[in-house]
Amino acid sequence: MNLESVKQTFLLESEELLTGMEEYLLQLEKDPENEEGVNAIFRAVHTIKGSSGMFGYDNIVHFTHTLETMMDRLRQKEAVVTPDLIATLLKCHDHIETLIEFDTTAQEGQEVPEEYSQRGQELLAELSIFFQGSQQSVTAKKEEPKNTAQNKTVEPVQRPTNGIQSPYWHISLRFAPSVLADGLDPFSFIHYLKNIGDIKNLYPVHDSLPDADLFNPEIFYLGFEIDLDAQTDDEQTVRSVFEFLEEDATIHIFPPHSAITLYEKVIQKLPESRERLTGILMEMGTLAPSDLEQVSSPAVAAIAENSESEEPEAEIRQSTREHPEEKKEVPAKISGKEEQSKKFIRIEAAKLDLLINLVGELVITGANISQIAKRENNSAMLEAASSMERLIEELRDNVMNIRMVQIGETFRKFERTVRDTSRDLKKEVELLVKGGETELDKNLIDNINDPLMHLIRNSLDHGLENPEDREAAGKPRKGTILLNAFHDTGSIVIEVRDDGKGLDKEKILAKAVERGLATQAQFYSDSDIYHFIFEPGFSTAEKVTNISGRGVGMDVVRRNIEALRGTVDVDSTKGKGTIISIRLPLTLAIIDGFIVTVGDAKYVIPLDMVTEAVEVKDIEKNSERGGNFISLRGELLPYLRLNTFFREKNMGREQENVIVVTYGQQKAGLVVDDLLGESQTVIKPLGKIFDQLHGISGATIMGNGDVALILDIPRLIEHAINQQYG
Amino acid sequence: MSHILIIDDSISIRQVLNLTLKGSGYEVTEAIDGADALEKLKSIKCDLIITDLNMPNMDGITFIRNVKDAASPYRTIPIIMLTTETEQQKREEGKKAGAKAWVVKPFQPQQLLAAVQKLII
Repeated sequence: MNLESVKQTFLLESEELLTGMEEYLLQLEKDPENEEGVNAIFRAVHTIKGSSGMFGYDNIVHFTHTLETMMDRLRQKEAVVTPDLIATLLKCHDHIETLIEFDTTAQEGQEVPEEYSQRGQELLAELSIFFQGSQQSVTAKKEEPKNTAQNKTVEPVQRPTNGIQSPYWHISLRFAPSVLADGLDPFSFIHYLKNIGDIKNLYPVHDSLPDADLFNPEIFYLGFEIDLDAQTDDEQTVRSVFEFLEEDATIHIFPPHSAITLYEKVIQKLPESRERLTGILMEMGTLAPSDLEQVSSPAVAAIAENSESEEPEAEIRQSTREHPEEKKEVPAKISGKEEQSKKFIRIEAAKLDLLINLVGELVITGANISQIAKRENNSAMLEAASSMERLIEELRDNVMNIRMVQIGETFRKFERTVRDTSRDLKKEVELLVKGGETELDKNLIDNINDPLMHLIRNSLDHGLENPEDREAAGKPRKGTILLNAFHDTGSIVIEVRDDGKGLDKEKILAKAVERGLATQAQFYSDSDIYHFIFEPGFSTAEKVTNISGRGVGMDVVRRNIEALRGTVDVDSTKGKGTIISIRLPLTLAIIDGFIVTVGDAKYVIPLDMVTEAVEVKDIEKNSERGGNFISLRGELLPYLRLNTFFREKNMGREQENVIVVTYGQQKAGLVVDDLLGESQTVIKPLGKIFDQLHGISGATIMGNGDVALILDIPRLIEHAINQQYG
Repeated sequence: MSHILIIDDSISIRQVLNLTLKGSGYEVTEAIDGADALEKLKSIKCDLIITDLNMPNMDGITFIRNVKDAASPYRTIPIIMLTTETEQQKREEGKKAGAKAWVVKPFQPQQLLAAVQKLII
């Protein structure tokens, strides 16, 4: 760890805080009474201010300081939460983001552009309008944060003419008996004195030590008289050594050559007798007999009387006095669960990938060991191998789990998009989120962001109507976009639903014909027609807006999702709305596989997609009217012969094994030769040259070192279904 | 080697503290809030606590009260509060609760070390 990496942490942390802030602002817009939200926003600003100060990002500190003050006043209900206030605060949020980005990337010594500070001032001025009418004026609070040390008034040390001889500082310390119980160690303070000078003399005053039987080890009985040779003439420097002791000790500090009258006065106040103390000071050499003689003269006594008002203790009190216009801080309470979910350890993604690769290798090696054990017929080893396999499986699940991230975070990011875009388009839109706790692989989340953003913008721009049109159609003025995520048979489904005008089938088909993608004569199902929108360059938008409609979108969406081994589907009802569902595999790296043989080769089917395995006699005869169906308990099931499909040897069996696989709503039977059972499968992606290969999604290495191909079930099902017409 | 427990909900502040203190030869344990810190105290022997005041779950003041409670086994561990200029009242509350020392954020590493060295050797 070095300062650079800490800066990186600062960046990530601020991003998280800003996301949280944005989220709470949007919540607050819906529910202005949400005190928790205001508290959380305050704390986000507060923390950003605190940590940016640590890195010397003064421009951020400056801006957030005023913002924090205002947020605090918002907590005190000095302003009312209005949509305009939220809008301004969102702008402030963006400004912080800009500043952080600038500061963390700026070169050493690079000046902050004038426009940034100007923008900041404008925003704060804009913000201050909301707080007018309350007692305090904002400008009065706009001052720079100051260090307390600078606030302390340091009176120049006067060199009295009748000063003592000693060239050293003298410090008289009497600790409170409770100082140990308060967790303060008197010795460490004295030890620290060495940082500002040399201790010339130290005399422990042990007059209050009780008899041994009354001695309480938790009570401190000692006082100290110290002569210090400090390289400073600033009394504050010396005093600051004891700043934490103010309530736990009586401290008197005498600059070099202080007036004897000062000593005299302090001596009178201390619990020890005058004789005892002067004795100590004489013994230390602090006071010389000649110094003491002055005291006896009445003239000096009179001076002592007059100097009453400038006695040094006054300074201590002054320096630590509280600011009178302080505000009461209410401890911010955020529901524990919400905050809990943000307690993450940040790990570099590459480290996790490496870990997963290693687990993958471990799975393969584990399988290898079991096979050897089986071959050797060594039962003890078999047992050990099987428990090792179980552990590996557990390890695999846990490691995979680390990569699982809730999708809610991603969903919430779109709130801002929806809000801003709908304002631009002058539409009224509400974004609803369902299934935010659904977890999926971090890599998937990262890659799903752009496609989702595109789909949401599409819905906003083309799907949802203007408030007026909606009213005319008998719908509520406010349109809804629902983001929904859920698990379904080994996949994750993410839906973007809107209640807008729906897709216009005729228009799409006309456009498809026009572009030569379809012919008038052919019959197309609704789903076929909707799928045209995923063709490159396809857009029915009459006018291209800057939000969407350039026709480069949907095919990119589809390609992105297919690259993740996922599929995308559309369903729409005219006038009611559109549902776009994205279906993604749960994980990317290791799956539970079901191994089958086809001819001489082994194939793996992702176990999640396997519904059942059945034996069927004379499949062809069983098929109705030569179509590619088998009847499974009365249900017609399209099937596909894998040995024909992959051109493997036909074993010519009478009883054939059919694996029933499901993907989404679709089902099909795959005819295979032998069933070898379940096995953990580490997916190794196939190289680019296999891109054209149909029906295969990857490869894996089996325990015995054999390579098996992983079947692309969605494609095979599609093929089986299409074949039935062919 | 003295052992210091640092408590702050901000990870970057924890890292700065950690870097500063480790650089000066202290052993450091991190906690993310008061509740976490109380848990950590059970398993370490610590000589000094540095705590933020404004934290979720259990804030600094509550934490200090817990540590300084008459029945607490940790009550003699000195505590440094990390406060900001705007938190003077909280600082007073903290002092009343038993934390005698404080450092004002933002601070320079030397300022923090000065506070630490005044309290432990």
